[in-house]
Amino acid sequence: MSQTEKQKKEQKAAMKRLRQERKQKIKDIAATVKTQKEAVKAIKEQLQNHGGTVPQIARETGISADKVLWYIAALKKYGEISEAEKDGGYFRYILSEGSPEEIFNGQPDGSQDTK
Amino acid sequence: MDAILELDFDALIVGGGIAGLQAALDLADQDYQVAVVEKDTSIGGKMIRLSKVFPTLDCSSCITTPKMAAAAHHENITIFTYCDLKSLESEGLVLTASITQRPRYVNPDKCIGCRLCEYHCPVYVADKEEGGFSARKAAYIPFSNAIPQIALIDVENCMLCGKCAKVCPTQAVDYFQEPENFTIRAKTAVLATGFELTPVENKQQYGNGEIPNVITSLQMERLLAPHGPYNRVLRPSDGMEPDAVAFIQCAGSRDKSMGISYCSRVCCMYAIKQAMLLSGSLPLADITVYYMDIRAFGKGYEQFYQNAKAMGIEFVKGKVATIDAGANDSVTLRYEDQNGEGVTSANHDMVALSLGMIPGWNPEGTCPVSTAADRFIQTIRPKIAPTRTDMEGVFVAGAAAGPKDIVDTITEAGAAAMEAAKYMTAMETARKAVA
Ligand SMILES: Cc1cc2nc3c(=O)[nH]c(=O)nc-3n(C[C@H](O)[C@H](O)[C@H](O)COP(=O)(O)OP(=O)(O)OC[C@H]3O[C@@H](n4cnc5c(N)ncnc54)[C@H](O)[C@@H]3O)c2cc1C
Ligand code: SF4
Ligand code: SF4
Repeated sequence: MSQTEKQKKEQKAAMKRLRQERKQKIKDIAATVKTQKEAVKAIKEQLQNHGGTVPQIARETGISADKVLWYIAALKKYGEISEAEKDGGYFRYILSEGSPEEIFNGQPDGSQDTK
Repeated sequence: MDAILELDFDALIVGGGIAGLQAALDLADQDYQVAVVEKDTSIGGKMIRLSKVFPTLDCSSCITTPKMAAAAHHENITIFTYCDLKSLESEGLVLTASITQRPRYVNPDKCIGCRLCEYHCPVYVADKEEGGFSARKAAYIPFSNAIPQIALIDVENCMLCGKCAKVCPTQAVDYFQEPENFTIRAKTAVLATGFELTPVENKQQYGNGEIPNVITSLQMERLLAPHGPYNRVLRPSDGMEPDAVAFIQCAGSRDKSMGISYCSRVCCMYAIKQAMLLSGSLPLADITVYYMDIRAFGKGYEQFYQNAKAMGIEFVKGKVATIDAGANDSVTLRYEDQNGEGVTSANHDMVALSLGMIPGWNPEGTCPVSTAADRFIQTIRPKIAPTRTDMEGVFVAGAAAGPKDIVDTITEAGAAAMEAAKYMTAMETARKAVA
């Protein structure tokens, strides 16, 4: 077995041990991630056709309005959603065009890279 | 067992907020070797998290980022972030600090800050840098102008899926990183540990932080920041653009029920600033400031207050007694209007609490420096040498010594650096005289 293969094997075994140590926590986080994925999917589905305001999306998805806004803020930051025009006292949100990765790497918030 | 790394510097600065950075720059420019130890993941303190600053309304990150970068790139300054100060003691004429570097689970020498790990991580976590109004990932860069731009993994929310390690182009992710202890020896130190806000959870009459759309002043700063969570001011409960916003002054200062009888000095001015910025972004909104007294103490501050009044911001003299959730996510205030109707109530779409300032650090058990009755670090010559503490060679600057605005913080940081430089010169002269 080559040196790198041996290293890889050792690393895999170490990861397995670490996962075993954190088993319960990983289980809890995985459950949270499942809920988050479902919520994001439901929100994006709502936006797919016509976009929507936070209360509209909340009504359609059954997710509370504050949580919808929380996801929208995050998805907007990661370039997956953008703000559209105003609708009464609320803004409408739509899915962003282009691959999220492209948008993300372009620093959507226009900030400086200070490294 | 590995030997503990020992590092020698002329000066140690504890806290990398604007006070610590200014003191570090002033010492480093005089050719002293300076270490800055910061507990947070980035330097910059509160100032880098503000929107604009009174009284000039300069963009806060535009004026803080150059200072942060100047310190980070200064050849005489070494910055240690994400570190815990375990002890700071004096042994003869040497100060010794024991420090623990918390693990980032990312190798700082390899990370290029590309954020691919953050992008691919599947876990959303409430982003405290955005007042909890948005999310980050379990693998993340703290914020876009954080220094250093190095990712970290929040193990409390990481499910070890391995995606971050897989996508990282420099193999920087290291799930097995351990805390590392090291020691810094220095001739002098400046304590610049700043402040925190009074906890909103402690004020039952104001809803213990549980009423929707009642937010803290630092959360309001994030809503007003151009790169904030919503990129505009929206009501957190449902994304509505608020039509009526209130600011409640002395929410946690001059309040014995919260154990804080002193005035936090900056809250009047920051609330006026926030009200003005809000009026700029929501010109049709009704904006009301409920206050006991307005303390516009600094140069140009009274004019700033008068300008706010001229902009149509309403100032109501009255202490708010209770805050309750109203209909349709509104917020109901009960207060005594001292200039008019006596006890009355009002509804607003959103309410910001101008919370007071409490010390950012309690030295007890870590460092033998004394604190005053208000628990901020005590200065032993408050009139003639206001940065001197009761520990020889240890000085204090900024909000660590008491509530203060940025102008006074910068001035005091310069004074602390000067005292520290004078102290080192005196030590050197004494050493030469003995030799
Ligand atoms: C809502 C709000 C708005 C404001 N707006 C304005 C404004 O417009 N204009 C103005 O002049 N002022 C304003 N201020 C006041 C301003 O924030 C302070 O004057 C300034 O931040 C003080 O700087 P500092 O470095 O002393 O403290 P901080 O900014 O608190 O920095 C202290 C640093 O020390 C670190 N630290 C703490 N303990 C330790 C430890 N044990 N070890 C290592 N590191 C530690 C902290 O993590 C932090 O980075 C505002 C304040 C608030 C709350
Ligand atoms: S290993 Fe943890 S931090 Fe990395 S991508 Fe997976 S959940 Fe996120
Ligand atoms: S850890 Fe890797 S993927 Fe994450 S920011 Fe650093 S270099 Fe990029």
